Amino acid sequence: MTEPTASIASGSPSSSGSPSSSRGARRAARAAGEPTPPSGIRRIRLPQKLRNLELALLLFACVINAGAIVLVQLGALGAIDTQLILLGAGLSALVLALHISMRFVARDADPFLLPIATLLNGIGIAMIYRIDIAEGDTGWDSAAVRQIVWSAIAIVCAIATILVIRNHRVLFKYTYLSGLVAIVLLLLPLVPGLGDDHDGAQVWISIAGVMNFQPGEIAKIALAVFFAGYLVRNRDSLSMVGRTFLGMRFPRARDLGPLLVVWALSMAVIVFQRDLGTALLYFGLFLVMLYVATGRLSWIVLGLSMFLAGALIASQVLEYVGNRFANWLNPFDPARYEAEVGGSYQLVQGLFGLSNGGLIGTGWGQGRPDITPVPQSDYIIASLGEELGLAGIFAILALYLLFVSRGFRIGFAGQDDFGKLLGVGLSFVVALQVFIVVGGVMRVIPLTGLTTPFLAAGGSSLVANWIIVALLLRLSDTVRNHPRLVIDG
Amino acid sequence: MSQLTLLVLQIGFLLLMWVFVFAIVYALRSDLFGQRVRKLQPDAAQAGAPAASGFPSSPITPGGGTRKPAPAPAPANGEIASAQNARTLVITSGPKAGAEFPLGRDEITIGRSADSAIIIRDDYTSTHHARLMLWNDRWMIQDLDSTNGTFLDGSRVSVPTPIPLGVPVKVGATTFELRR
Repeated sequence: MTEPTASIASGSPSSSGSPSSSRGARRAARAAGEPTPPSGIRRIRLPQKLRNLELALLLFACVINAGAIVLVQLGALGAIDTQLILLGAGLSALVLALHISMRFVARDADPFLLPIATLLNGIGIAMIYRIDIAEGDTGWDSAAVRQIVWSAIAIVCAIATILVIRNHRVLFKYTYLSGLVAIVLLLLPLVPGLGDDHDGAQVWISIAGVMNFQPGEIAKIALAVFFAGYLVRNRDSLSMVGRTFLGMRFPRARDLGPLLVVWALSMAVIVFQRDLGTALLYFGLFLVMLYVATGRLSWIVLGLSMFLAGALIASQVLEYVGNRFANWLNPFDPARYEAEVGGSYQLVQGLFGLSNGGLIGTGWGQGRPDITPVPQSDYIIASLGEELGLAGIFAILALYLLFVSRGFRIGFAGQDDFGKLLGVGLSFVVALQVFIVVGGVMRVIPLTGLTTPFLAAGGSSLVANWIIVALLLRLSDTVRNHPRLVIDG
Repeated sequence: MSQLTLLVLQIGFLLLMWVFVFAIVYALRSDLFGQRVRKLQPDAAQAGAPAASGFPSSPITPGGGTRKPAPAPAPANGEIASAQNARTLVITSGPKAGAEFPLGRDEITIGRSADSAIIIRDDYTSTHHARLMLWNDRWMIQDLDSTNGTFLDGSRVSVPTPIPLGVPVKVGATTFELRR
C-alpha cells in the first residue's frame, strides 16, 4: 500500500478543511479494500490497522463535537448559526492533520489518545461557547473563539512535537536542562513587570498586555522529563539502602535530599505564588514517580505526611489557604457564603448547579451555569454537570479514565526505564490534575484553582496537555517499534 | 424548537457520548480481558505435551517450524548469561522452534498481550507472563505472577533469577535458551 507524495505536503498543518475529510474517507475505503498492487512506488506498506481505527474514532469524536455546538445553539438561541460551526470544522481539519502526520512518523502509536483528547477539547469548546451566549460575548471577546484559536495553536504544537522528537530518548540527554527550564518557568510570574496578579494567585505572565500565559502548565512537562531522567540515574541509592521500621524500609537521612528539595519547592509555590493546586500537582507528580522508580511505599508515607503537615501549617498561617479549608468544611455557613473575599459563594453555586443537573442534565443551553463565577474555566465541570447531568459527567470522567489508563499502559509496555517513568509521569499528571479540580468542585478536597485538562478555557493548559498527548503518542510508537517475535500456539 | 425535541436530542447526545466510550472499551478489550486463547492445533498440542510435563525437552520437536533448530552448543559450565556473552535468545521447542531473537540491552517482555516483545499465544501463557531484564549486566528472568509459572531448568521461578547460558527456560509450551 502506498502513499502518494502529494499527501505529505497537504498533511502539513496548513491544510484546509475539506480535502482532509475526503482523504479520510478514501483512506477508510482503501483500508477496507484489497491492498493495491505496487506500481512504480518506493516502498510497500502494510495496512495501518491502528491508524484506521484511530481515524474512525476521530471522525466519531468530531461528529459528537459538532453535535454539541449545534445543540448549544438550538437550546440557547433556538436557531443554528453556521459561523462557529465552521470554526469548529477548521479545528477538526487540524486534528486530522495531526492524524495524517502520524501516519508518516508515528505509525504504531496508540490509536485512542487522539480521539479522546479531541472529544474532550470539543466538549469544552461547546460549553465555553454556551457560557459566552449567556454572557453576551461575541467576536474576540468571546472566550470560545479564543479557545478555538488556542486549540489550533496547541494542536500545531503537538504536530511539531511529534515531528521533531523522533525518539523519546533524546529527552533523556536534556534531563538537567529541562529541570532548569522548569525552575525558570516557575519563577517567571514572580518577575516584576512580567507577572500578572490574577485572582490572587501569581501564576500568570502577561505578554505585551495582550496574551496571558500560565508558564506553570508547561513547567509540569519539563518537570516530568526531569524527574524521569533524574530518577533513572539515581534510583539505586534511593531504593537499595535504608533501615526497616514498622515493616517498611525507610531511606537514609542523606537520601532525603531530593524529596526535601521538591517539598520546599511546593511550599514556595504555596507561599509566594499563592497557588495550592499547582503545589499539590508538582509534589504529587514527584512522589508517584519516586514510588514507581523505587517501588518503596515508605516514600509515599514520608512525602504525604510532609505535604499534609505543610498544608496544615499553611492553613493556619496563610489566610487564603485557611479560607479554602473553611469553605471546604463549612460551605453552607451563611457567614462564609456571604463573605466578600474568599467566601464559599462560588463553591456553593457550583454544587447547586450540579444538583440542578440531576441525572441527565437540563440540556445544552438550558441550564444556568453562568450564575457561578468563572463557569468556563475553573468551574467548567460544574457547568457541564448542570447541563449534561450525572450521565454526562460520568462519560467525561470515563474518557479521562481511558486516557490515563492508556498512558499507564504505554508506560508499562515501555522497554527502557526512562520511557516507562516518563509515560507514567505524564499520564499521572493528567489524572492528578483532574482529581484536584473535580474533587475541589465537588467538595471532596479543598478547592484549588487548576484547569481541567482539555476542557477548561485557558491557552497554556491546552498547549501543555496537547504536548503531553504528542509525547505519549511518540512513546507508544517507539514501544511498538521494538523487535518482536510472535509465537502462535 | 419544542421542549420534547430538545429532551430527545439531549438524550441522544448523551447516548452518543457513551457509545464513544464503549467503542473505545470494545476496541481495547483484549487489553482489559487478555487475548482470546486460540484452540491448540494438533502439532502445537504435541509440542505442548512434553513441555507441560515439567521436563524441558531437548530441541527435537519438529512442531510447526520449517527448519530444524540448531543443536545447542550447551556450555555445561553454567556460566551466567551477561550483556557481554549472550547475543541471542533461541526458541528450542514449541511451534516456532529454531527462531532466534536478538538480545540488546532492553528488557524483553513475554506474554500473550500484543505489546510484549515475545508474544506467545497458547493456552498456558498469561497476558503478562514473564520478563527478561539486565541487572548489573546479568540477564535475569522474572515471573510476573503468571498462572502456570515460568520454569528455569525445570524448577519454577519465584524470584528474579540469573539465567545461565544454554539452560532451558519454559514459558507455556515454549522453551528457549540464551546463547552466545
